[in-house]
Amino acid sequence: MPPIGELTILLPVDVSEPDPPTLDVLPVLRPYEIILLGYFPVPDQATPALIKQEYGAEAAARLDTIAQGYPDVTEVLVFTHEREATIDRVADEYDCDAVLTAGDTDHISRILVPIRGDANIDRIVSVTTELLRKNAATATLIHSISDSGESSQAESLLRGTVEKVTDAGIATDRVNWQIERGDDPHQTIVSLADEYDIIVLGETEPSLRERIIGDTLSRIIDEIDIPALIVRDVE
Amino acid sequence: MSTEGGELERTLGFLEAMTLGGGTMIGAGIFILPGIAARNAGPASSLSYAIAGLVALLAALSLSELATGMPIAGGSYHYVNRALGGLFGAIVGWGMWTGLMFASAFYMVGFGQYIVAPIPGFDGRHFVIALGLLGLTLLVGVNYYGTDESSALQNWMIGVETAIVVVFVAVGLFFIDSANLTPFAPTGPTGIIATTGIVFVSFLGFEIIATVAGEIKNPGRTIPLSMILSVVSVTVLYVLVMLVSTGSVPIDVLADSPIPVSDVAAVSMGPIGVAAIAFAAIIAAISSSNSSILAASRVIYAMGRDGLMSDWFNESHDRFYTPHRAILATGGVTALLIGLGLRVESIIALLAEAASFSFLVAYLLVHVALVVFRRADPDEYEPTFELPGALYPTVPILGGLLTVLVISQMATLIILIGSGIIGLGVVWYFTYARTRVVGEGLFRDLIGEAPAEPYRVVVPIANPETQHGLLRLAAATAHANETEGTPELVAVNVVEGARDAPLQNIESDRLDHQQELFQNAHDIAEEMDVRLQTRALVAPETSTAVLELLAEEDADQLLLGWDGVVGNGAYTFGHIIDPILEGATCDVSLVKLSDGSIGRPVALVAPGQNASVVARRAFEFATVEGTVPTLLYVQPPDATTEIDSVEAGRAVIDDIATAAALAPDEYDVEVRVSDDVEATILEAIEGYDTVCIGLSHRTDSSGILYGTITESVALNTSGNVVLIRGGSRGGS
Repeated sequence: MPPIGELTILLPVDVSEPDPPTLDVLPVLRPYEIILLGYFPVPDQATPALIKQEYGAEAAARLDTIAQGYPDVTEVLVFTHEREATIDRVADEYDCDAVLTAGDTDHISRILVPIRGDANIDRIVSVTTELLRKNAATATLIHSISDSGESSQAESLLRGTVEKVTDAGIATDRVNWQIERGDDPHQTIVSLADEYDIIVLGETEPSLRERIIGDTLSRIIDEIDIPALIVRDVE
Repeated sequence: MSTEGGELERTLGFLEAMTLGGGTMIGAGIFILPGIAARNAGPASSLSYAIAGLVALLAALSLSELATGMPIAGGSYHYVNRALGGLFGAIVGWGMWTGLMFASAFYMVGFGQYIVAPIPGFDGRHFVIALGLLGLTLLVGVNYYGTDESSALQNWMIGVETAIVVVFVAVGLFFIDSANLTPFAPTGPTGIIATTGIVFVSFLGFEIIATVAGEIKNPGRTIPLSMILSVVSVTVLYVLVMLVSTGSVPIDVLADSPIPVSDVAAVSMGPIGVAAIAFAAIIAAISSSNSSILAASRVIYAMGRDGLMSDWFNESHDRFYTPHRAILATGGVTALLIGLGLRVESIIALLAEAASFSFLVAYLLVHVALVVFRRADPDEYEPTFELPGALYPTVPILGGLLTVLVISQMATLIILIGSGIIGLGVVWYFTYARTRVVGEGLFRDLIGEAPAEPYRVVVPIANPETQHGLLRLAAATAHANETEGTPELVAVNVVEGARDAPLQNIESDRLDHQQELFQNAHDIAEEMDVRLQTRALVAPETSTAVLELLAEEDADQLLLGWDGVVGNGAYTFGHIIDPILEGATCDVSLVKLSDGSIGRPVALVAPGQNASVVARRAFEFATVEGTVPTLLYVQPPDATTEIDSVEAGRAVIDDIATAAALAPDEYDVEVRVSDDVEATILEAIEGYDTVCIGLSHRTDSSGILYGTITESVALNTSGNVVLIRGGSRGGS
């Protein structure tokens, strides 16, 4: 499992909004390195340079307000047509391990980690481990299978993953696993999310269907209230 | 903040640039104009398209080089403005804006024509115009409210319409009847060239790639590749479409049709073909018109940035963040132009040709601009794509000549209208823009006489607050040395960054800041009557860049702003200043201006290498305020009387002043006699506004040597401090 060193988290915030979003989770993230990305969405019709000229100072001030009290936070302000492209680029530039979406939480004691058996699984484990190291929390790893499906494969996947976490030094009573049955994995995650403080999700290359119909991840994120830590797939 | 004020994301990749360029070109030009082209040149109209393609390609080549040298918004307008100055900038700026509006109107009338055609009973011109206006209103509305990341939809639309045209050509090739192709050129070569003028509007798209250069990723590669590729592929497509059209259908039928390509499709592909072409034509018109509106806003923004247009147009909507005023203005005039169609029979041909005229003039000036840039070769012009030796100066010369040739064959009415638009630009420049323009054209540098031997003072500027004072001092010292050469200032601003990095976001950010700095510099230079050159540099290290510049420019003096800090950890003055002091061979002055004006300066002199330079500089700086410097010397007491000590001190000062070429009325003298030099000096300088001290010339492995007195003065004075060191080249 690749060691992550200090966890670097990218926190994107829309600075075109006059009211800053709920960032109750920020105090909990103090142990980690935070890159605060203030992005200003620019419509196709406008040149980013023009928008910066007019709103640059305002946006910078908003970003400063959000970062108040957190002198170690790195502030980055970008005027962009494409939010996702900017998030990817800045995350690469600052070597971020994960991207955090805003949500209602001011402490981390219960972490939900849906496991899919992706290539990204080792990084998801690393991030979860780091969260557990710096917080008095427990993590629950889940894997979804259909109502009538066979569970042995799921079980070995989950057990194996839990072992990776405990191997890294986390007490066994702080990590548990669960097989969730249901026909709609997304719905499962969304309904479970209420019982947790934060969810760790793996970013994956969108499938062709997802590219046309919509981002799976953002559908989940839109429907949950808790913050999501999206682990980047750097491969 | 990682970058001052925020970064600007470049989001347009190669695919987006191609669809922007190619997609806009496959607009009404290819669906409507074949009829008019056929009427004016017969089957040889395919040649007209080919020639138009050549003219466009040559323009694309020149534009590619310019665009990779300066990848920011504005397109042709920006490069002409920089090369030839505000007058031509205004002409091209207005020309481009009106050209885009004529083109937009043309697309929307075409849109109207294709919609009414299949509907029986609806083919009155009123319906065409009404539909055109309706379509325009919808587009303006969409652009007013703003779209986000619409490139996916754009790509899809362009892809579909291109596919339909390709199929049309592929199928149509089998339906060519050579009987239709003779006589090939009924109107002869003049007819062919005249038709080129009409159809040139079909090649508008590549320009738009340059107009949005500020938003293109990896501009050095993407811009030339997409511009050239889109022109070449579209030209091939057009020629084939014309051959198929003129070959499948008799010329007279083609010439009279408002939906020529559709009628050709009827022959080769039946009703399905007709429907497909109509569909393609409609989405082509919409996407091309949309691109034109977007491009028009960029041009207006670029003009506003350079002072040629009121910023009122560029204010964004506070909820939608769109340049709503520019969009409404563009939409309004375009609507008027469409409305003209109610009165003018051949409105389509008129609009197309007028648009072509504006852009042909613009490209003529672009070719000239390229030549000017090559000849003037300013430092900040480092195009990633350069025309290879074989193509330069062939491309701009041939390109320029061809545009003139095509323009000469255009209808008289169009030439009148076009000249009127040029006239508008000229009038605008002289009434509005002249006093507000930022940045002179390079052309002036070329035709101005080169000074025989300039006396050059280099001044790095970075901070608008301190630059005023610095530049005034620089100008004063340059003037004072007039006998050595024509006074010249070189104001340089360095942005730290990797020299070869793809011009990501650095360009756009730096421009805003630099504009302000350089504008101030120009104002001061004009006020103080000195020549000013500005240098905008990007380099990994400021100190290295400045040293290189000093060597390159063979500078006589360097004036550096300094924050007054001495003995700063590992450095003496700072990580930028120290290397410069070590490496510079000319006279150097470190200036700490805590108070804007020099006021009354005092120069601390003592026998030594630097003394005359210190005295000289103090005198030169004092001329800013019309005062004279006081030369202060602390004379150690010796056995003789105090009066003799004072006399001795005076003599020392006079010697130094003579060495500094100062006449007795150009300085005041103050002599103090004391053992405690430091304390005496500190007390003596209190009444003065500025202190000038010498900096030792010696450097050794421990770094730059300076006396404890220097440090003491620097730390204890609240006024201005100037540390001066003579050059090793044998200064004045």
